[in-house]
Amino acid sequence: MRRVLSVFLFLCLVVGTTGCGGGGQTTTGKFTIGMVTDVGGLNDQSFNQSAWAGITKVKNEQKADIKALESKRDEDYIPNLTRFAREGRSITWAIGFKLDKALTDVSNSFANQKFGIVDSNLGGKIPKNVVAVTFKEHEGSFIMGALAGLKTKTNKVGFLGGVTSPLIQKFEAGYKAGVKAANPNAEVITAYAESFGDATKGRSLSKNMFNSGADIIFQASGGTGKGLFDEVKTREAGKYWAIGVDMDQSFLAPKHTLSSMIKRVDKAVYDISKQTKENKAPMGKQVEFGLKENGVGYPESTKNFVDENVIKQLEDYKQQIISGKIKVPSSL
Amino acid sequence: MKNTTLKQNRNSALLTSILSILLGIIVGAILMLLAGYNPLVAYQALLGSAILQPFDLGETIRTTSPLIFIGLAVALAFRTGLFNIGVEGQYIVGSLTAYLVAAKVSLPTGIHALVAVVAGGLAGAAWAALPGLLKAFRGVHEVIISIMMNFIALYFSNVLVRTWLAVGKDSTDKIPPTASLRIGSLSQLFAGARIHMGIILALLAVFVFYYLLWKTKLGYQLRAVGYNRHAAEYAGISVRRNIVLSFLLSGFLAGLAGATELLGTSEYIAIQDAFIGIGFDGIAVALLGANAPVGVVLSALLFGVLTYGGGNMQFVAGVPFEIIRVVFAAIIFFVAAKISFRWGNRKKGKAYA
Amino acid sequence: MLNLLTNLVDVTVLYATPLILAAMGGLFSERAGVVNIALEGFMTIGAFSAAIFTIFTGSAWIGLLSAVVVGILFSLPHAIASINWRADQVVSGVAINFLALGIAVYLVKRMYNGSAQTPVVPVKLEQISIPILNRIPVLGPSLFEAYPTTYLAIAIVIIGAVILYKTPFGIHVRAAGIHPAALETAGVSIYRVRYIAVMISGALAALGGAGLSIAVGSEFNQTTVAGQGFIALAALIFGKWRPGGLLLAATFFGFSVGLSLIGQIIKLTNYVPSEVLSMIPYVFTILALAGFVGRAESPASLGKPYEKGSR
Repeated sequence: MRRVLSVFLFLCLVVGTTGCGGGGQTTTGKFTIGMVTDVGGLNDQSFNQSAWAGITKVKNEQKADIKALESKRDEDYIPNLTRFAREGRSITWAIGFKLDKALTDVSNSFANQKFGIVDSNLGGKIPKNVVAVTFKEHEGSFIMGALAGLKTKTNKVGFLGGVTSPLIQKFEAGYKAGVKAANPNAEVITAYAESFGDATKGRSLSKNMFNSGADIIFQASGGTGKGLFDEVKTREAGKYWAIGVDMDQSFLAPKHTLSSMIKRVDKAVYDISKQTKENKAPMGKQVEFGLKENGVGYPESTKNFVDENVIKQLEDYKQQIISGKIKVPSSL
Repeated sequence: MKNTTLKQNRNSALLTSILSILLGIIVGAILMLLAGYNPLVAYQALLGSAILQPFDLGETIRTTSPLIFIGLAVALAFRTGLFNIGVEGQYIVGSLTAYLVAAKVSLPTGIHALVAVVAGGLAGAAWAALPGLLKAFRGVHEVIISIMMNFIALYFSNVLVRTWLAVGKDSTDKIPPTASLRIGSLSQLFAGARIHMGIILALLAVFVFYYLLWKTKLGYQLRAVGYNRHAAEYAGISVRRNIVLSFLLSGFLAGLAGATELLGTSEYIAIQDAFIGIGFDGIAVALLGANAPVGVVLSALLFGVLTYGGGNMQFVAGVPFEIIRVVFAAIIFFVAAKISFRWGNRKKGKAYA
Repeated sequence: MLNLLTNLVDVTVLYATPLILAAMGGLFSERAGVVNIALEGFMTIGAFSAAIFTIFTGSAWIGLLSAVVVGILFSLPHAIASINWRADQVVSGVAINFLALGIAVYLVKRMYNGSAQTPVVPVKLEQISIPILNRIPVLGPSLFEAYPTTYLAIAIVIIGAVILYKTPFGIHVRAAGIHPAALETAGVSIYRVRYIAVMISGALAALGGAGLSIAVGSEFNQTTVAGQGFIALAALIFGKWRPGGLLLAATFFGFSVGLSLIGQIIKLTNYVPSEVLSMIPYVFTILALAGFVGRAESPASLGKPYEKGSR
């Protein structure tokens, strides 16, 4: 018992010496944005980083007050979202489908606050104070598949996935459809590392796929995909290619990156945040960003290694998807 | 006479812990200063956000309760001279099984939760059975088997979620309220925090742990095996039986941690891309708490405060959360070195040369 | 078929290399009587320093060397705690693991503006091919066109075995792990022997980690090592604390990983879920241990601090 007491006293001492600050400052009048990352953290070279870039742009243009909270574990989502909601942020962003259930809970407890979520439609049940942003990754992946189908010399291309899950299978489904459309004779080899952070496994799988005859591999596997770039760099340039994901990844292997499937999380978050300021945000709705909205696509650097004639064909596929002539499957 | 030495030991253990915590915090502060952060602001943010507001206090307690279970699980195995590095895997199957009972069986409120909790504990025990049995009967080192079982548990949970429990989604639905460990009034008391019955169960487990190990014959035998395997054997205690039992009980506690977290905190299972690392936190909790019941509670509380408050430290002072891991490390290290003990001896002029 | 076998050997070598290096480190420390659960931490700090020093000096070899130096420095707290202070060695190892990951990621975030990973290293250790030998079917492309770390790993197993069994120092190491008092009576300082052994473990495990960040991979982040130190510890125990044994154990593990990855390529996933394929290395290890290997006799004085003058 004495032990308990003394430790308690000790803790009080620490609180005492460091002062008892904290508490939430309320922000009134000013436009304020909060952003909660998933466990990937702020500078994940993926959607969190992209979202933060969009929010930073709002800050620069609209003089908003912005702040981000990184989540370390899934359990952190609720406290982090709550922290912003208590502060009364004009809009609080939840980045990543992993936050879907947490956002549903918090947005119900703070019905007067506005929230946004990226990569989830909350199972179709979107509260009135939430805007759900999703991307048609399958459409962008279709274009990458078409590119791979057109560029392959071996008629074999690869897909490297992270953890087997519906979101990643959306990439796989679109990619496969694209390959098939552009080159019916081409075969797709698929491999999942069952991890988003295992570069060694990503490398081994890529090596295996290349050795089995594939000459182009598209990755949707987070950090695991770094292994693809490590592997392709050791191979003959102009013969073996990698296709990146989320952002322009050509910096990882400048001579070996054919293209990247870009997801404009920054644009989506920027657009919606700005609309929130103007009170025009589509609250209670799902907003989908596909090829049509320029929410998914490929970067300028694609032109480094892909000639105009192929680009033209890609643009043609893009138009057909936008017009609805081609329906891209979003699951396997 | 015996009593006074016991008391002295206890006091020195307490002094060690307090000195270690202080030194750990100082090490953290030095690192922050070196990197150009303000440690006072950081620690203030940490403590302020962990305990001052009712919501945060509730969440801190919520963070603490699985750490108590896991700490006890590791401590129990240590007491029998075994290292259960497999608590992470036992935690995973505990929550998986609790989810199955919660989602696939329907029972009246309360009973449902209770059955799910117990099922989770049993699953944890079952997962720990293999390393225990192999250790006892084949002499295979428990550390290897446990590490392997952790990976198998992770993939096992993922494949069940993906192909059966949440087809076409990344996580399952929430469990029905009948199986939830949350209590509305309790949450309200803490401004909506997810504090739940898990903490009560954890404290109950602490008491059972104490009673079992120090007041029953089984506990005596478990500790005897841990103290000296050969002597225990000589005294007619079945070492094999106790090794297996120790692993089962340890796994049961780890399974309870997983079950209560699922039924009280998350209420769903998601496909996981990596371990959450609660196993290693639990090992640290047990070690810092000297494998003793009260020690585990206090060190779990300390870890809970640091873990939950650490997030805010980054928010307010810009200090990366990882500094918390360094503070943990320093504290454990100083405890390992029995800092006060050495200090005391130095004063008597009897240094260890 | 030949192609598949080549791939299999390739993955085996890739995965076994860091495990062999770290396990060889663990071997010295544990044979000398000091439990080394800190291998994970040493690998982490090795991977981190190799990446950072490669970035700052522009030389991967300096990066590799710095990993060894930092690994040795990092092993000192473990040595002090477990040898001088006679602390519980598991506890001190757990602390080292926390410390390594904590400090490494903390510094990366501090140095790179909050980023969770270092930039990609400008140069890497490149594969070195050994002419003629690399033409051997199946084995050639992986064993004789390997990274320097792989050659190092093989060399260290051989040199380590010679040191351990044929030199006075090796005899001292083994004696320190079995009957330290007898060694002390013979006039050898147990502290000195154990210190050197723990420092070797820091150096070798860090080398294993370095291979992950500047040879096989090209950056450091918090998942670069992700548990491989523990697998290395398992390989050490699996190999019964012998150089040849741990070499086989690490190779066996790499081979099983290879099998699970090949399963993906040959489309076994049409019949078996990918997650189940991923379990293969772990299930195989358990089966091997339960079925064939069995009892692991650790060095008699493993984990027991030595007190001068005690018997």
